[in-house]
Amino acid sequence: MADINPPGMPIERGKIHEFANSIGCDEPLYHDAEAAREAGLPGVVAPLTYTAATAFFQSSDAPHLSKKLGLDMRFVLHGGQEFFYERPVFAGETLTAEQGEIIESTKEGKRGGTMKIYDSFTNFKNQDGELVLRVKNTLIQTGGVVKE
Amino acid sequence: MSNDIFASIKEGDEYVFTKNDFNRTDFVRYAGGGGDFNPIHHDQTFAEEAGLPTVFGMGMLTAGLLSRVPAEWFGPTSVKSFGVRFKTRLWPGDDVEFKGVVKKVYEEDGVTHADLDLTAVTGKGEMLIQGFSTVRPWSA
Repeated sequence: MADINPPGMPIERGKIHEFANSIGCDEPLYHDAEAAREAGLPGVVAPLTYTAATAFFQSSDAPHLSKKLGLDMRFVLHGGQEFFYERPVFAGETLTAEQGEIIESTKEGKRGGTMKIYDSFTNFKNQDGELVLRVKNTLIQTGGVVKE
Repeated sequence: MSNDIFASIKEGDEYVFTKNDFNRTDFVRYAGGGGDFNPIHHDQTFAEEAGLPTVFGMGMLTAGLLSRVPAEWFGPTSVKSFGVRFKTRLWPGDDVEFKGVVKKVYEEDGVTHADLDLTAVTGKGEMLIQGFSTVRPWSA
């Protein structure tokens, strides 16, 4: 895969349409620019978890967290994710991810040995520097394969 | 998608939908939509080498479906926060019930807010995700 992606994350109707379909959303405000305009919105709305779409994350301002931390992808679990919205995200704007704190801790797992837990905070701002949302992402590096 | 719902919302109100029989194509479609190409979610050989019986679904796939509960219930622009904790994995063939329950209704700066408890539970009764959301009316 080509590893080039300039900073900034253009929020686009076509990508929102594809993402919304991948989670089964049939709400017109995600798909139909005309419906969004009629609702008084500047563009189609991005679904709530859209900014977690890692394809966008891998821009030079925010490389993929697991890559940055050098984690072994066979044994990485996604612990959780939290989104705090100042307002909805709309097609037509460009978001930039600002990496905030990464807090590392360890925990004795019941099933996968010692686990390392990474809580990562990201602020998403638009092209005018307006804070749009904050995201907390939790990754867990287990000691080995987690038995069910 | 009307703000009228905030006038009638009360503690204990519920919103539920189910998706049955998640399959590998659902995982691959989310890989494309969401950009998660970790092979553990689509490559059987890779999954077996990691000691797993088969591929499993991305957490953010089920989180995306769970996010539809507050978004469909109160409107996609009305969500102030949404968060999830992943409890176990989604396997091909799983049926999942996505549910929201109103935990608390309150006023903040004269605006009605509601805190929701969210869950995604498999047909086998396993808790897949526990989540939360706060909703309130928003206009452009």
